[in-house]
Amino acid sequence: MAVDLSVNKGKLKLKNPILTASGTFGYNFEYARFVDVASLGGIVTKAISLEPRPGNDWQRICETYGGMINSIGLENVGVKKFIEEKLPFLIKGNVNFIVNLAGASIDEYVKLAQICEENKINAVELNVSCPNVKSGCLEFGTDEKVLKSLVSQVRAVFSGCLIVKLTPNVTSVEKIALAAQEAGADAVSAINTVKGLSIKVRYINGKFQKETVQGGLSGKAVKPIALGVVNRISKILDIPVIGIGGIYSLEDVFEFFAVGAEAVQIGTANFTHPDISERLVNELKGFMETNGFQSLDELKEKLRGE
Amino acid sequence: MVVPKQKKLHKAKITEISQVSKTLYYIKFKPESLFESKPGQFVSILCPNHTLRRPFSIASLENNEIGVLFKKKGSGTEYMAGLKIGDTIDFLGALGNGFKFDKDKKSLLIGAGVGVAPVYYLKKEIEKAGGDNRLIVGFMTKDEVPSCMSFDEIATNDGSLGLKGSILDYVEQEIISYKPDVIYSCGPHIVLKTITEIAQRHSISSFVALEKVMACSIGVCRGCVIKLKKNGTTVNASVCQDGPVFRGDEVLWQ
Ligand SMILES: Cc1cc2nc3c(=O)[nH]c(=O)nc-3n(C[C@H](O)[C@H](O)[C@H](O)COP(=O)(O)OP(=O)(O)OC[C@H]3O[C@@H](n4cnc5c(N)ncnc54)[C@H](O)[C@@H]3O)c2cc1C
Ligand SMILES: Cc1cc2nc3c(=O)[nH]c(=O)nc-3n(C[C@H](O)[C@H](O)[C@H](O)COP(=O)(O)O)c2cc1C
Ligand code: FES
Repeated sequence: MAVDLSVNKGKLKLKNPILTASGTFGYNFEYARFVDVASLGGIVTKAISLEPRPGNDWQRICETYGGMINSIGLENVGVKKFIEEKLPFLIKGNVNFIVNLAGASIDEYVKLAQICEENKINAVELNVSCPNVKSGCLEFGTDEKVLKSLVSQVRAVFSGCLIVKLTPNVTSVEKIALAAQEAGADAVSAINTVKGLSIKVRYINGKFQKETVQGGLSGKAVKPIALGVVNRISKILDIPVIGIGGIYSLEDVFEFFAVGAEAVQIGTANFTHPDISERLVNELKGFMETNGFQSLDELKEKLRGE
Repeated sequence: MVVPKQKKLHKAKITEISQVSKTLYYIKFKPESLFESKPGQFVSILCPNHTLRRPFSIASLENNEIGVLFKKKGSGTEYMAGLKIGDTIDFLGALGNGFKFDKDKKSLLIGAGVGVAPVYYLKKEIEKAGGDNRLIVGFMTKDEVPSCMSFDEIATNDGSLGLKGSILDYVEQEIISYKPDVIYSCGPHIVLKTITEIAQRHSISSFVALEKVMACSIGVCRGCVIKLKKNGTTVNASVCQDGPVFRGDEVLWQ
């Protein structure tokens, strides 16, 4: 019996619900020696900005209890090189991909979205955890008015599936999520990394040595935060929610389905287990076959009902 | 589209593990499938309950058996030190670019502390190819020197074995007496920086194997990026994929 793993919620159309998260899977085939990239529900590219960005200096990552902190600073090749060098292979490789966009101003997001529209890209994910240069570098995703204006302007130029990726670093994620929906988003994904800091102190030869990394926390440690956010927003939204944060196993995927996620993205776990995304697709399929679920919707219904 | 076909994710059985000095351990493991590597390349070992894999230089490869020399630093290497023969580990490799050598050139190899691992492997490969080389190493004290390896010259900071002082004190005189065409080194950042400066003064090319905390170890996350000077401009390079071996004079040293 063939099981139906597909997700079909408005413009969010996926052959299965397992995606890989932005910044943890490269642009296209970096992980091809570990997984069949075309077998995934989709991949979200590293954030793309208008111009190439060099990223932050020196110490960019460190491990923390149950996770890691990164301050990569959105190092990326820029949209021109992405379109010229990466896109053709994604199309040829039959990979379902979502382009993660990062701008320093609303104009930049709009330009990026236009370029995606011109290149017939099916889906974009707005990374709104970027500092808004105009408003003194407050993140776009922390103010519902700014976010609404950003999303509606992007909506006006982009006809494909428009996903807004929410940051958990806000007072009311519900307000932000509703603003995204009202502005015309087709889906939201949550969460981006949680702001944090790691400082390691060692006392050597009469001196304190300190190693600090300030940035975004990800990995297993953020899963309860992500589940909390998904639970709160999926209750009030009509558009689908994609769950992200600390997913390492099929149980984790089920937990996100249970609180209302329609699909999930695997992030930091790719670093620990580079083959995990495809493994999860196979495990999900195996589970459904073994337990007689014909479709993902049937499984989700049962999960949420009981 | 460049999709490397060589298998990179391996399971391997531990075939040997021993403490080879007061601070260092030597572990050997055999992957199930055929493994190929070059000196300077590394493996990335999964440590249970840790988010990040731990990278280690390959210190030897014989009969599909990989050797790694490591120092106990924190909980990841603590786990490795506790492994037993027959245990299975999960690792990625071989990763990174590795050293390029020319057997017709005289090579001076320098290792400081656990940094001897990749240059020791390099020495074996240069010897197999019949090239002229000399390996000099530095440790803090005699107790740290791994018993399983032999070197052409040893310096210890406290003078308990071989020459007294830092290995850096002897690089200049090695250059004058051995007259190398090229220097390959691995060790702490400051040691590599100094060796590069000395090499530049003598117009000798120098290659260094760098270390940086890694997350993906395959060039994706951009977590291990350093800066290089190339044709007058500054460019980013990942230690895991573009390195870990770089031309010393191209590194923008911190
Ligand atoms: C290319 C490369 C080759 C290396 N080769 C060797 C080797 O042959 N032998 C050896 O003993 N050590 C080697 N190292 C260093 C080794 O990776 C660290 O000592 C090890 O990761 C420490 O893990 P831990 O859990 O014991 O210590 P922790 O308590 O986690 O950390 C101790 C220190 O180790 C470093 N470190 C921690 N995690 C990582 C990581 N994911 N990547 C890189 N550095 C990290 C940090 O500087 C940290 O301060 C190499 C590192 C690199 C990048
Ligand atoms: C190294 C690294 C780089 C990331 N880069 C991006 C990015 O470019 N754009 C983005 O929207 N999110 C980025 N993220 C956030 C992830 O996509 C994801 O939302 C977050 O890590 C939580 O999921 P996880 O716990 O499964 O990793 C990055 C995360 C990491 C660890
Ligand atoms: S560790 Fe990810 S790019 Fe090097």
